[in-house]
Amino acid sequence: MPREIITIQAGQCGNSIASQFWQHLCLEHGISKDGNLEDFATEGGDRKDVFFYQSDDTRYVPRAILVDLEPRVLNSIQTGPYKNIYNPENFFLGEQGSGAGNNWAAGYAAGDRVQEEIFDMIDREADGSDSLEGFMLLHSIAGGTGSGLGSYLLERMNDRFPKKIIQTYSVFPDTATGDVVVNPYNSLLSLRRLTQNADSVVVLDNGALTRIAADRLHVQEPSFQQVNQLVSTVMSASTTTLRYPGYMHNDLVGIIASLIPTPRCHFLTTAYTPFTGDNIDQAKTVRKTTVLEVMRRLLQPKNRMVSITPSKSSCYISILNIIQGEADPTDVHKSLLRIRERRMANFIPWGPASIQVALTKKSPYLQNTHRVSGLMLANHTSVSSLFRRIVVQYEKMRKRNAYLEQYKKEAPFADGLGEFDEAKEVVNGLIAEYEAAERDDYLDPEGGKSEGT
Amino acid sequence: MNSAHHRSASATERRSAHANGLPSRVNSTRVRDYERPQVHENGSPVLSDHDFDNENGVKSVKYATTERRRERHTITTTETYGTRARRSPVKDAFSRDDAFSRKKIAQSPPVKRKPERELPAQSKPWAPETKLIPHSSAPLAVRITAPALRRDAPDTLGAPPLGNMNMAQQEVALLDDLLYVFMGFEGQYISFVEGYNPAEEKDRLLGPAWSILHGLDPSLKDLMESMLVMASHYSALEAFVEIQSREEYGSVNHALCAAIRRLLKDYLILIAQLEARVTGDASFTLHQMHLSVIPTAQSLAQLYAVAQELLRKNALLEEDVEESMGDWDADNIMERLKEGGDLLPGSMMKKRCIGGNVLALLTQRLATYSGDPAARSILEMLLREASKPYMTMLNEWLHHGAIKDPHGEFLIGERTSIKREKLDEDYTDEYWEKRYFIREKEIPPQLQAVKDKVLLAGKYLNVVRECGGVNISSKMEHTPTTFDDPRFLDNVNHAYSFANQELLFLMLAKNSLRGRLRSIKHYFFLDRAEFFLYFLELSASELRKPQRSVNIGKIQSLLDLVLYQPGSIAVNDPYKEDVKIKMNEIGLVPWLMKIVNVQGLDTDNPDALAAEQYRVPASATSVSKDDNEKDITGYEALELDYSVPFPLSLVISRKTITRYQLILRYTLSLRHLETTLIDSWSEHNKAISWLHKSSSRRVETWKRRAWNLRARMLVFVQQMLFYATAEVLEPQWQKLMNTVDLLGTDTPPSSSHQQSRSNTSPQSGLRGGFGNKQTVDELMQTHLDMLDSCMIDLGLTQSKLLRIHAKMVTGCTMFASYTSNLTRNLYSADPDFAFLNAPPSSSTNPSDAKATEAKRETILANYRQYSGGGPTALPPAQDEARMARIEETLVRHEEYFNRHLRILIDTLNYYAATETVTLLGLCARLTNAEVQKRDDLGAGGVA
Repeated sequence: MPREIITIQAGQCGNSIASQFWQHLCLEHGISKDGNLEDFATEGGDRKDVFFYQSDDTRYVPRAILVDLEPRVLNSIQTGPYKNIYNPENFFLGEQGSGAGNNWAAGYAAGDRVQEEIFDMIDREADGSDSLEGFMLLHSIAGGTGSGLGSYLLERMNDRFPKKIIQTYSVFPDTATGDVVVNPYNSLLSLRRLTQNADSVVVLDNGALTRIAADRLHVQEPSFQQVNQLVSTVMSASTTTLRYPGYMHNDLVGIIASLIPTPRCHFLTTAYTPFTGDNIDQAKTVRKTTVLEVMRRLLQPKNRMVSITPSKSSCYISILNIIQGEADPTDVHKSLLRIRERRMANFIPWGPASIQVALTKKSPYLQNTHRVSGLMLANHTSVSSLFRRIVVQYEKMRKRNAYLEQYKKEAPFADGLGEFDEAKEVVNGLIAEYEAAERDDYLDPEGGKSEGT
Repeated sequence: MNSAHHRSASATERRSAHANGLPSRVNSTRVRDYERPQVHENGSPVLSDHDFDNENGVKSVKYATTERRRERHTITTTETYGTRARRSPVKDAFSRDDAFSRKKIAQSPPVKRKPERELPAQSKPWAPETKLIPHSSAPLAVRITAPALRRDAPDTLGAPPLGNMNMAQQEVALLDDLLYVFMGFEGQYISFVEGYNPAEEKDRLLGPAWSILHGLDPSLKDLMESMLVMASHYSALEAFVEIQSREEYGSVNHALCAAIRRLLKDYLILIAQLEARVTGDASFTLHQMHLSVIPTAQSLAQLYAVAQELLRKNALLEEDVEESMGDWDADNIMERLKEGGDLLPGSMMKKRCIGGNVLALLTQRLATYSGDPAARSILEMLLREASKPYMTMLNEWLHHGAIKDPHGEFLIGERTSIKREKLDEDYTDEYWEKRYFIREKEIPPQLQAVKDKVLLAGKYLNVVRECGGVNISSKMEHTPTTFDDPRFLDNVNHAYSFANQELLFLMLAKNSLRGRLRSIKHYFFLDRAEFFLYFLELSASELRKPQRSVNIGKIQSLLDLVLYQPGSIAVNDPYKEDVKIKMNEIGLVPWLMKIVNVQGLDTDNPDALAAEQYRVPASATSVSKDDNEKDITGYEALELDYSVPFPLSLVISRKTITRYQLILRYTLSLRHLETTLIDSWSEHNKAISWLHKSSSRRVETWKRRAWNLRARMLVFVQQMLFYATAEVLEPQWQKLMNTVDLLGTDTPPSSSHQQSRSNTSPQSGLRGGFGNKQTVDELMQTHLDMLDSCMIDLGLTQSKLLRIHAKMVTGCTMFASYTSNLTRNLYSADPDFAFLNAPPSSSTNPSDAKATEAKRETILANYRQYSGGGPTALPPAQDEARMARIEETLVRHEEYFNRHLRILIDTLNYYAATETVTLLGLCARLTNAEVQKRDDLGAGGVA
């Protein structure tokens, strides 16, 4: 079926998130652990074909390519409960199995060696779809494989599939407590590719995710699995309009196009409410969920899944609220008016300033205590503060020339460290772009010179 | 009760006989009295104030059959009685078997009498004869010619003149004569007035007037007058019964005649009794006779009045002629001609008073005379009897949906020329609206209030029968047979609700109306648009062409491909094969404009033109060729057609499909625009000339503005689309579905009928929900209303909105399709790409040159990709001029968009205030979505 999306999950983080994501999709579509359709799910009115295809024995197989350079996570997937749904040919494990060692350069260099094999898989999947819409890359930008190999793949994919949408779900490191020392290096280098080679980047911030998970689930130290659950919820919510088609927003490009008016500012933040853990009882607080309530909460910073520090001038470039459940259009309308009245959301002064709303169904197979839930995809200028933090941390380390040795060993840095400077320039340009977007004169920086014509 | 009355009547006779002091007579009277009850038991005796119960009705049927048999006898027997003694015709008749004789009283005497009178004077030319006349269409009509007139008889036959008699003799002679006169024959002294011609139908219908020979004592003459009037009435009624029983006057008239005939029979019995008195009781005087006929005379007068009115209405008697012209029903005539030229002379040119009108007349008279008990009981009886055949037809229609109405009397008519096969191209719901119709002029007042229910009940049954031959009919038990039955209205109501439920059940359960509506929603509202977007993508190359050169077959196969593709939402739809591609020759906006304009001209009469409006655009292309008939593209011409089988096509008719198509084309245009803008976005995001961060601020600024304009357009389109789908179509749709759901369960009503009757199961609770007031007609109306309010809320009914909307769409489309042009220009305008045009080896640094060359190659590849296989080399850079030009272009587009958006919002505001509040939502949406600093925007628009 048309408008398929191929998911590429790279690295430890990407694969962990993805395995949660696939589990979630299976539950939503009523697909059992071996890929067969559950008996109750034969008439769903949903489109499984966006993310799955049917094998000859009518099992549903994810359009997923699992890439990692070290075997741990892939092994756990292959032994996990959903091991049977994946196409075994789509697992790619680096030849040495040693991983990239949290080194962007190592991952990137490995990309050069393994790209043929990976692109074989990608081509096979692409050929198997009728009208490929695009790719989703799931990775973290702090580690080695996800960021390094991921960056490499992004670059190549742009050449290979110049007309396809590339969306990434990129997990940004928790800048406060970096568990990987060199993550500023890795992040900066990946960020450059995300800026230049991706069409849309959904920014997921490990710090914020942990905070929200801890908050909502009432646990001190949320496990990775709980955090990943949060991510998978966001991912599935952001794709509901594709999987449960409605009047509008039935293709990825349509969603992205309305969110990203200018090509460079394509970093999206998310918020989701109400988030509850499925397995934690005290988190299942029953509350009244109305459209207004949901939309109001979505605008609250504490529900935002990115730790950004908005300045006074920062503002929204665009917002898309995906409301799931029984939402009355008149309620939506009222809520929009209310939000506008109370100026809950500041918009860029120079462009269309609207909260777009997509109304979708909920999966009929998931028990949900909430009448309405919502996901906000927003393009907010303050996302640049996140980039700025990365640049600042990078500069600190770079000044000290810390940990540069292992980078110099790898191919991309064979000619020197110019790569770092280029990346920094690009990211700085990005930050500047966002800052410019906050200003009134974004369209006319020269003070009406071009207006005169 | 009857016999009691008569016993008392005979008691008075006896008393009077005693008073006369003639004992011999007493005896004979007693003998008579013994005989009399025999007679009474057989017939419903003497007139007026009897109640006719059912037993009587049964008897009357028996009479009818025996009478018919007897009639034939009469002709043969008349001759045999020819030589009977003249003085005792009635007595003779009575002495015979009584059941046999009664008829003869009416007919035999004249025949008997004349020959007898002639016999002595054989020599004269006076030779009256009686001939058999051919059957008329009235089965019981007299079939012998009228007796010869007395005035033609030779004087020699004349009776002794009255002047020579004393008063007692005169009285005796007159008593004898009167017995004849009462039966409508001339006597010796009493004859028809001059100018009365019994061969003339009209004269007979009016009834003869009588004249009495000279020399009668004035006191007797006065006494005679009133009795002679009664005789006239009788004659007139005889004629009335005879003529109105003809076939063309319809079964209600026939029934009425039968009832009247029965009364006349009773009248004749009275005459027979009188004769017995005259012959047997010498003391019987003219006065006594007068007294005994008074009640009867009143009854006859009443009947006569009814008959006269009816005849006048029937144009058998003259009335104001011009009034009858109003009765012309062209439709009816055509219908009859088609049915095989059944143009009855009395039914077409003249106005007719049959069926419902007869009942109406009786009802009206009944209301007028309700204070007169005697008249009232007669009229009630007549109405009851006359309504029986009508009631049979009504029941047949109500409970079986059949029209058995050979005379066209029933209030429901049928146009058989309208076939259900024509439903497919039926844009006017002709089948439903016109197949069965109410004859507005022939509705009995009792049915006036429920005429629509009557029509619908039978109509529904017919629909149910026509689809699939299921023979359903409500139970006919306990149905009333006359109009005055107290269950009369209940009957109609029950039948109506039964038929209604059957049809609803048929539509909802057997033909799954809901599924159909849902399926239509998929295709026309595109509530799950993905399949259609894919279809648009597949057929893009075809649809880009002008409408005339689009290969419909190809597109159709593409649509099928999409619909049948496993995994598509549409694949589960069982009705997908009913969807067909169609290409309209006229763009949406011109078409709508036409409709709007027509409506504007003729708001008074929307129904009449509704059909035309929707048909005009399809056929009137030639007319509109001259105005803006630029060739539209496939996208603009594309529409879907959807065929719905009977009986759902009653609800989902052509009328509604046309509206669906309009809505589809509207949303389709928005969707197409959205896709184009998204394509433009892709190009902005993918082409290097757009992505490249130029060193020239001017270029950068220009790009930002172009992006922004595109973003605004996209937001605009998406807001429009969101409004159209989420705020108009979906809520309206939900409303409709709620209505449909209210119609109730999917259980067959007949079965639940039985269940709820036999036991009070939960089913009966469901039935309670079912038995609400919703009808199929209301459902149709709701459906149509839903679509109409969708169109209004979408702003498809306001020419101003349409125009401005069209302009917005054109502006956005122009800009979006201009993108690739801009992309190309950008390469040449951006000074950063200037090196591309420099000779490859101009650079001094060889490694630099190599890098530049590689970059150049990628850019060129990218360029080729977006310039659509255009020139392989970049055009020479003339940045300044080019830059200025594309800047200018952009400003033009910006201004256009700003200006028209502003007009659109203002217009929307206006119509939100005047037409529909829903538009306010769109208005707010568009305003909110706009750039927050509106002044800046406005300034741009002005400049």
